[in-house]
Amino acid sequence: MTLEARLAAYIARRMPEAREVAVRDLARIAGGASRETYRFRLTWTGDGQARERKLILRRDPPASLIDTERRIEFEAYRAFHGSAVPVPEMLWLEEEDAALDHPFFVAEEIVGCQASPALLWAEPYLAVHDALGRAMWTILGEIARAEPEALGLDRVMPSVAADACWDRELSYWEGVLDADEAEPLPTTRAAIRWLRAHPPPPAQKVGVVHGDYRTGNFLFDEAGRIHGILDWEMAHLGDPLEDLGWSLNPVWTFGRAKAGGLVDRDAAIEVWESASGLRADPDALHWWELFNCVKGQAIWVSSARVWLDGGAREPIVVYPAWAMMNAQDRATLQVMGWL
Amino acid sequence: MALVPKVPDVLAEMAGQMVRAADPAMPDAESASGLGLSALLLGLAAEMFDKAAHLLFTENRAVRALLGQGARTIPDAAFAGRLRALSHGVDEDLRVSALQAQNGVLRAALIELHIAAEGADGPAARALETAIWEELVDSSERRKLAGSPV
Repeated sequence: MTLEARLAAYIARRMPEAREVAVRDLARIAGGASRETYRFRLTWTGDGQARERKLILRRDPPASLIDTERRIEFEAYRAFHGSAVPVPEMLWLEEEDAALDHPFFVAEEIVGCQASPALLWAEPYLAVHDALGRAMWTILGEIARAEPEALGLDRVMPSVAADACWDRELSYWEGVLDADEAEPLPTTRAAIRWLRAHPPPPAQKVGVVHGDYRTGNFLFDEAGRIHGILDWEMAHLGDPLEDLGWSLNPVWTFGRAKAGGLVDRDAAIEVWESASGLRADPDALHWWELFNCVKGQAIWVSSARVWLDGGAREPIVVYPAWAMMNAQDRATLQVMGWL
Repeated sequence: MALVPKVPDVLAEMAGQMVRAADPAMPDAESASGLGLSALLLGLAAEMFDKAAHLLFTENRAVRALLGQGARTIPDAAFAGRLRALSHGVDEDLRVSALQAQNGVLRAALIELHIAAEGADGPAARALETAIWEELVDSSERRKLAGSPV
């Protein structure tokens, strides 16, 4: 049975009132290193009328470069749907393998937008960088402002004390490096030693951390508006400065010497502070920026490990290792003041 | 620029994927997605192919010099002896895989030396620490790809 037919059969079970459920134009979307992503049209008959909806299927691959908890990702999207943080509507989460061989979820497709950051460096998008930057860090501030308890996310995300956020994250990603590195990483190891010797102050609040908030993980239009924040697979509770630090990681400047390739760093921080109601203490933010260089390197190293262990033999797992590891070293050296 | 996974392994796998992508039964979107990323990797492989041996040879020589400096600076006699032995090495096999294996051994020792330098007192230790950081910067320059974002 084709993937279309199996998906249609699954959805038909989830929509018992619908008739003639069909999946059409199923096509894989490029990228997606942690999940396989497909778009498709769902057609069905309901209340005697022909109906259609554009949807997204996100399915776990046989091997992924990021070990993630799909329920947490699904619940994070669902928690923010309808809020000041734009996200697609989540429809169904399936955690068993039976239906489509691997766990997956189905979500609304936000249409009429772009996702590729490569488009941002040419017109008409060059003209709206300021608006996009303001939207990007305003939304990140809204995520930081959100209360996990009010969203119900404290029930699905492991809790952490305000003074333990940094150690939990650093220990986790250092563990990933220990397990996955194929070559010695002198710059990253030196950064880890510095981070442990100079811990940041306790978090101002324990909030929702997106975990991969950067240029390239949102849907945008030609007017500089953001219509969807994507890729919540690393969402967790922690210090909101962690997300700000990741968004400012030099590897996400795309070589443009601006925060996210879009706006001046000070402007991005000012917008985030205004929207979040929090302060970006320079020393604390520096710690989290350097931490995110370590985290980035751990992700690229994991990507190579997927290949080396005979997991996914897809170009998408090679590209981060080849293209990003030295760039991440350079980012680390830059944040530490050596470059 | 990173050389893991190894370039020949990746090129061999990509060759197989391109054969499969050329199959008329392969859906267009899936085929285009795979080929686009494969093309990106081919570009990176082309850039690495020309300079990989030179950069590894240069880097191994630079790290050996640092290990020699470390052997003269670090008071731990056993560690200093190991550093001295590594510093006297020579790259006789110039295949990328051989240079890369040596590079791994040398950079692992460099990490140990960096930790020892950080923990040692005195101007010689500070000078060694600075020299290590300078080599890490130089290494990142050697390995920098044309399209690097940083």
